[in-house]
Amino acid sequence: MTDGGDLGWWGVLIAVMGGAIRVSTPYLFVSLGETLTEKGGRVNLGLEGILVMGAMSGYGTAVVTGEPWLGVIVAGCAGSALALLHGLICNLTRVNDIAVGISLFIFGTGLAFFLGKPFINPSAPRLPHLELGAWSSYPQVRSALEINALFIIGVVLAFVLAWGLKNMKWGLILRTVGDSTEAATALGYNVNWVRTMGTVAGGFLSGVGGSFLSLYYPGTWNEGLSSGQGLMAVALVIFARWNPIYCFYVSLLFGGATALGPALQTVGITSNYYLYGAAPYFLTLGLLIYSSSTKHSLAGAPGEVSISR
Amino acid sequence: MTEKPAMATLPPPDVTVTDMTKRFGALVALDAVSVHFESGTFHALLGENGAGKSTLVKCLMGYYQADEGDISVNGVTQHVTNPRHAHHLGLGMVYQHFTLVPSMTVAENLVLGEEGLSSVINWKEHLEILEAFMQSMPFRLDLNRSVSNLAAGEKQKLEILKQLHLGSRFLILDEPTSVLTPDEADQILGLMRQLTDENRISVVMITHKLREVEAYANEVTVLRHGRLAGQGYVKDLTHADLIRMMIGNEKISKPAVRTKASRREIALEIRNLVVGNDKGLTAVSDASLQVKEGEIVGIAGVSGNGQTELVEALSGQRDEESGDIFVRGEKYGKTRSEMRDFGINMLPEDPLNNSCVREMSVAENLAIRIFDQPPTTYAGCLINRGAVRRHGRDLIERFRIKTQGPDARIETLSGGNVQRTVLARELAGDVEVLIVQNPCFGLDLNAVAEIRNRIMEARNGGATILLISEDLDEILELADRIIVMFEGHFVFETSRDKADVHEIGRHMASHI
Amino acid sequence: MFGSTFNNGLEAVVINAAALILTLAGFGVFVALFGHNPLDVFYILYLGAFATQLSIENTLTQSAPLMLTALCTAIPARAGLLVIGGEGALVVGGVATVLVGVHLGHLPPWAGVLIMGLAGSIAGGLWIGAAGALRQYRGVNETIATLLMNYIAIAIMSHLVSGPIRDFDQVLKTSSWSIPESLMVSTVPGLDVHWGLAVGVATCVILYVIMRQTTFGFGVDILGGNPRAAQMAGLPINRMVLVCCFIGGAGAGLAGTMEIIAVHGFASESLVVGFGYAGILIAFLARQNPAAIIIVAILVGGISASGGLMQRRFDLPDATAAVLQGMLFVMVLASNTAYGRFKIFQLKAN
Repeated sequence: MTDGGDLGWWGVLIAVMGGAIRVSTPYLFVSLGETLTEKGGRVNLGLEGILVMGAMSGYGTAVVTGEPWLGVIVAGCAGSALALLHGLICNLTRVNDIAVGISLFIFGTGLAFFLGKPFINPSAPRLPHLELGAWSSYPQVRSALEINALFIIGVVLAFVLAWGLKNMKWGLILRTVGDSTEAATALGYNVNWVRTMGTVAGGFLSGVGGSFLSLYYPGTWNEGLSSGQGLMAVALVIFARWNPIYCFYVSLLFGGATALGPALQTVGITSNYYLYGAAPYFLTLGLLIYSSSTKHSLAGAPGEVSISR
Repeated sequence: MTEKPAMATLPPPDVTVTDMTKRFGALVALDAVSVHFESGTFHALLGENGAGKSTLVKCLMGYYQADEGDISVNGVTQHVTNPRHAHHLGLGMVYQHFTLVPSMTVAENLVLGEEGLSSVINWKEHLEILEAFMQSMPFRLDLNRSVSNLAAGEKQKLEILKQLHLGSRFLILDEPTSVLTPDEADQILGLMRQLTDENRISVVMITHKLREVEAYANEVTVLRHGRLAGQGYVKDLTHADLIRMMIGNEKISKPAVRTKASRREIALEIRNLVVGNDKGLTAVSDASLQVKEGEIVGIAGVSGNGQTELVEALSGQRDEESGDIFVRGEKYGKTRSEMRDFGINMLPEDPLNNSCVREMSVAENLAIRIFDQPPTTYAGCLINRGAVRRHGRDLIERFRIKTQGPDARIETLSGGNVQRTVLARELAGDVEVLIVQNPCFGLDLNAVAEIRNRIMEARNGGATILLISEDLDEILELADRIIVMFEGHFVFETSRDKADVHEIGRHMASHI
Repeated sequence: MFGSTFNNGLEAVVINAAALILTLAGFGVFVALFGHNPLDVFYILYLGAFATQLSIENTLTQSAPLMLTALCTAIPARAGLLVIGGEGALVVGGVATVLVGVHLGHLPPWAGVLIMGLAGSIAGGLWIGAAGALRQYRGVNETIATLLMNYIAIAIMSHLVSGPIRDFDQVLKTSSWSIPESLMVSTVPGLDVHWGLAVGVATCVILYVIMRQTTFGFGVDILGGNPRAAQMAGLPINRMVLVCCFIGGAGAGLAGTMEIIAVHGFASESLVVGFGYAGILIAFLARQNPAAIIIVAILVGGISASGGLMQRRFDLPDATAAVLQGMLFVMVLASNTAYGRFKIFQLKAN
């Protein structure tokens, strides 16, 4: 954005919107993933490790095969594998899902850095995007309207998941298990199995979210790639009230907030850069304080999720 | 969706249990019991807690595998391996605790358990079928309501509707009226009786309420200590017969003697108390009462009318929204020092979850009231674990608590002994005010008698006692004054001498 | 007399040892997949962590901040809260140390260090204490709140370090003003380990005594075991939760102080290296027991310490230590399920 000056504040707005779409994509995938996990009644704080593992494995696959989409699939599978570990361990009695999540966070990032060492230098092919801004003569507008393919998939997925949770058998079963262990057991569902599958599906989406980081934006693999998007998934889901469509809106909001600092930088406002970057965390904490009560649990929370009590 | 022509044509299942035995370790929960649940009858399984009723039906439903004995359905011997198998045979169970999904609608809950539910649900078609199903039932619910907004009676109806919708034609109801008002109970049991009379279903009802058996059941089987204590047609049995079968020839210790109290000052007063429940609704509205020294005030009522919230407000487990509590004329803030100074003690229901720490030892649990005072402390703030253990050992002996020792975790004790542990802790010290809720829930008759004796002794010693109980007999036995609680209000008050069971029962059912 | 406690302790030792052995076995398979002899790797692990004075010193240095951040989870956990804000409290403590420390150059070192220690622990304590207050008075889930507060703390530090308190003389990295050289602490006599170790061990021991031997500790155990029982006993629950959160946060804040006054001398991104998150897991591994935290922290510190040697000897990436730590955490957490399953550890009838 070399000539941001001629658009002035409009440039900031456009940059925030473009940034929102770009930055929100991993948020969207991890929050959809965490929604599936939590709808089943568990919390997976290990999504951060899964995200990094997805970024690494996706990038590595794309480097080796030259196929970015294959990288996305492999990233999802790697995420599922780690999530399966979370699910299986949490099936044991007296095991705390939050703690297991944090250990998976450390294990996943460690493993990704270990295995990803050889991929720091080579460059991988990027994922494609749509040029929706070709009509504009402003490079800022063109850049903002480069809509990446994963974003579109993510948006479609948000609506599909929202529909599926209401209208498909797996959706009803997942919600049953997440809301009342007693009811699910009485209906003859295998609670642990359903929860594990919810976690695994969530891991797949988070892995895909990670591949976005390495294969599209910023589009490289290094050890500082993730800035905690995986850990934030839990907060995002609370903000979105466990609703996939709200996940989409909230991801956009968080993405926009994250993009605010860099966008302001382009018009020469550099102070408070880091505070703008932390806007999502302030927002979520503020919302939590506003909507919590000592009298009742959070609205929309699945009954069996530990953090909603 | 499966169509149900069978509902109209074939008779409901006829189930026979022969010589069924079930052991848990050394305990024989069920000892060679045989019952014939005839097709199209309303059969009551009567007995005290721990008599083996639940074990019997859980074996029938495939939750447990019986060690010996046979089950036959419509004359064919079946080895029921799991609940799903039982469903296929047309057997369904309605649990004491609701097994509905609170965040879902009535329709979603009904559809959930359907056999062969397609992976994509066609809601239009399902809603039409459910609507038609509702029309064929003697009671209905709005399909689009969320279960979390249903009242207890409506949830119970939904549980039954769910089983019927799933095609169960042999319904086992586990204490179905424990959370219902007498009116709701009469309505639901009446409908069940109607359905059996029309030969549409068979019903087995687990209960310990004789009234329900006499009013609604065709046949009754009585269990005691895991053995068959008697069975027959209800019309052939008298009230006395049923009681004899249930209780047997056990000797029960005599009820405690009520002495005349000398001091009569007001020790506990509640003024205009308003308490909310977990959902933010008002559970106790504008309740006021006074309890004098040496007096037991009994609060009667059907479960769920605000008693638990009242007790929680008194015990410090819930903040009141408005109103005041006074002890000996002073405002009571539920702090530890006030509890100690005023000698306030609590016997809550479900003591393991309400007033014990599972992971702590019996001795530590016994020290919860006194751990911060000498002799269990030294130098003011250090805890003397030896003294804690000695104190525990002393109370274990005095109150005859059956435990592996003072160091055993309290969660390893039986329910009766947990109850006894809490009783020991709360009654050992200086008891001036005692608040008791359902103290005898789930205990055998001798334990019941012992606990009631101790409460009466405390009263005779001048303690001020508020007894909240769902067991009207208990209230009639112990209380000097009786107050009826209905939908959060104190709706009726009578003295012990003038108490009339029928009048109290009417007030328990509604405002009059 | 001490049957119950002794048996429980023995059970924990046996189960944790078994988990450790399984972890090493898993790690052996892992390195074997990359063409290394597991036995060689184990030997280097031992060499790098515990074999020589140098490696032991390295291990102890690594473990010092972990002991303190583990307390941030362990102490509130005893009162029934799951706090994961050690990372943020450490950062806040470090920043407070710098903010106070730069003005203390004129004081004698002992006084300056004392004041900085107080500043760090009070700042960390208030930080986590705020989360405790939000939970008690507003019903905000403390796990999520402290997670968010980690990021907020880091953002506040980045903000301060990038401008208001930036030392513009440092050109290579963005960092804050440095505290006066005279206030930097040296090493423990006889060991090449900074004073953070002594502070960590002492804090854990003191808190062990407080939690185990005082009426406050007993009350906290009641509260953590069953809040309803604590309410019924009339215990001052809000106060106890706030105190526990404050103590825990103060521990992590003190870790921040020690990182500043014994290692870096200034605040920067290098405070954010995951001590807080590792501390959460150490607390769980130690079953929230402050004394056990010392041992677990040294074990985990040893793995970190041997990372460098493994890298040099086998050309394994430096993330190898993180893989092993992650495996250990996963395995020990999973082993929690084994408690109470073995009859041999249960109390015999008297």
